[in-house]
Amino acid sequence: MYECIDAGSDYCPCYLAETNDCITCSHLQGKSYCDCNWRGVCIYQEYVWNGEKAKETRKSFIAKIQEKKIIGSNLIIFKISVMKTLARQLKQPGSYIFIRSIDKPEYFDTPMSIMYANDHTGEIHIAVQIIGSKTKSLLNISDEIIVRGPYWNGLLGFKNLKTLSNSNALIIARGVALAPAVLVSQYLIKNNNKVSLILDKGKIEEIFIYNYINKFNVLTIEADITSESGKILLEELLSNNRYELCYSGGSDRQHREIKKLLSNLSPSTKFVICNNKKICCGEGICGACSIKVGKKVIKSCKAQVDASYIVEKGENIR
Amino acid sequence: MTKVIVIGGGWAGCAAAVTAKKAGAEVLLIERTDMLLGLGNVGGIMRNNGRYTAAEEAILLGAGDLIKLTDKASRHVNIEFPGHKHASLYDVCKIEPMVRRYLLNMGIDIMFKTRVVDVELEDKTIKGVILNNNNVIYGDVFIETTGSTGSMGNCLKYGNGCAMCILRCPTFGPRVSISMKAGVEDILGQRGDGSYGAFSGSCKLNKDSLSKEIVKELDEKGVVVLPLPEEEINIDKLKMKVCQQYALKEYAENIILLDTGHAKLMTPFYPLEKLRKIKGLENARYEDPYSGGIGNSVRYLSIAPRENSMKVKGIKNLLCAGEKAGLFVGHTEAIVTGSLAGHNSVRIDKGIKLLELPVSLAIGDIIAYANEKIKEKDGLKMRFTFAGSIYFERMKELNLYSTDRELLRKKIERLNLINIFDEKIV
Repeated sequence: MYECIDAGSDYCPCYLAETNDCITCSHLQGKSYCDCNWRGVCIYQEYVWNGEKAKETRKSFIAKIQEKKIIGSNLIIFKISVMKTLARQLKQPGSYIFIRSIDKPEYFDTPMSIMYANDHTGEIHIAVQIIGSKTKSLLNISDEIIVRGPYWNGLLGFKNLKTLSNSNALIIARGVALAPAVLVSQYLIKNNNKVSLILDKGKIEEIFIYNYINKFNVLTIEADITSESGKILLEELLSNNRYELCYSGGSDRQHREIKKLLSNLSPSTKFVICNNKKICCGEGICGACSIKVGKKVIKSCKAQVDASYIVEKGENIR
Repeated sequence: MTKVIVIGGGWAGCAAAVTAKKAGAEVLLIERTDMLLGLGNVGGIMRNNGRYTAAEEAILLGAGDLIKLTDKASRHVNIEFPGHKHASLYDVCKIEPMVRRYLLNMGIDIMFKTRVVDVELEDKTIKGVILNNNNVIYGDVFIETTGSTGSMGNCLKYGNGCAMCILRCPTFGPRVSISMKAGVEDILGQRGDGSYGAFSGSCKLNKDSLSKEIVKELDEKGVVVLPLPEEEINIDKLKMKVCQQYALKEYAENIILLDTGHAKLMTPFYPLEKLRKIKGLENARYEDPYSGGIGNSVRYLSIAPRENSMKVKGIKNLLCAGEKAGLFVGHTEAIVTGSLAGHNSVRIDKGIKLLELPVSLAIGDIIAYANEKIKEKDGLKMRFTFAGSIYFERMKELNLYSTDRELLRKKIERLNLINIFDEKIV
């Protein structure tokens, strides 16, 4: 039902292991026996080898801003120089980092999806929508920014995405969620899938990702999916085409609407969504992103949960 | 037709598949690795002490298919080693393909490299088992023979870490307790000191790494006994073993090697540098587990509560066998419990009274006795095998031990159970 996105990574075991809250390992949940479904090298073994403590966690560092591009009145694209290793780690769809202004304390850390990562040049691009005090504090920075990462759980249903090849996929992205749709579409194309991309600028003043998608291998359609004509467009697409996978980038309300359409018109289509939970620490510690799956409380900053389940059983969200 | 799904392709699972098929079921065996027999690929000891009686009983009951295969694959028959008489040693390098062909020829379907990770449960009935790729396999009756060994966390917490045994968890994924997923809590076996689990009792050396003299003696006699230097004798080591039938003084004072294709070293693990100080073992290396100098697999951490018919308590259509069904040790024990579970799977589906074997047979008695003892606190520290320790003593006391086939035939005829497992129910 759920899996830790960090299991087996350089950051596993994490602090959750120290407090018997590991998402994967039954021993590290305080039980006396094995009851896991992890297919890699044993997490408990890693924990014991590491002196019964968490591996070193992600550290914040100061990165250089290569370019800051303001789009309309409420969007900034930052191009940031980072280590090539970090850029490589952030190429996976769903990757995100925490950023903040260097003159602000840690609680200004705000999670931001990766739009583009280049591991040859060591750069990452992110799109920031200016909404509240965290993002407003980024308006005036120009040379340096504090970065912490890599984090990966920015989308739910990664396994569906990972296993799709030689198939048709539909990506529907709106507003600032256009940014993470770039990595999703690149990943699907790499695996020889045909991608149709519905672009809705939402509250942003323009479609800001055209520079990041190759129009020769993606079919792009601009639409306002909240309008009546946009809805008809989606219904037409789903009725007349066979999509093995659908990715929704946008609000939880958008996820629900699209899931409804899928259930009616294309029930076998696998569903992948961007993770909209209020991610605050990214490490499963603070609890801001907790959701309830069955009887269990899951930290959605780390746990992969079935997207269809979480959208349909949305009332279980704490 | 009754569809029986067997989860776990060790000796118990293979035996269950065979008798379920004989009883008329359509049988699918799901195995997580790429080989059948599990730890049977590194075992080999049959027919020693009371196992001889059990093997003959199984043949007379009509569940002798796999026993006959191990007889056929034996490198040595009727050999003696300390504490053990009339043993056969099957060739671990030959047995697996033989069993695989036998099952396939019977028309049993086998899925390899497929792991069951969960169940679909409805009203205490398993509807289907969920595979690691999220596919669901539906069936009428399910038999769990996933054993109790590993996974890596258990081998670390209660042992010395993953010793890289034949089960190869890092490659094929961890063992999953199906009964636990169906909501029935596992029972955990203990050691003498009350800690959980126990080490597998032997490791195997590569025969080519031993001296010519040792190899010659192994080939000829099947057994080599090498006395240990005084300072190397450690009696306490016997306590952590699974195989209480080999927890004898002779096994602490000597290195005992048996020829099962590899040289089976009758101790859970032995530091390589110490081993190499012994004459003839100067170049020794381990064949199984690969880290036999450090540790061995840990078992008995996943036992399902069951009836004497092998049905799991609390679930309407789940049976179990082998180590999953109690603190049993050995292939023979797995085969006989598996055979009963397989046969009863068809009875469950047809609503026929489940078969329980009478306690006047060694097989019936061990199943009932192990079930009685597991309810006692100290019973969790016991192990049950026809081959020795408390249960072989009990066999002798109750006059259940015999190597006389005719006598056993008459007894089973009297019980009206001759070839019962050969009978087609549907």
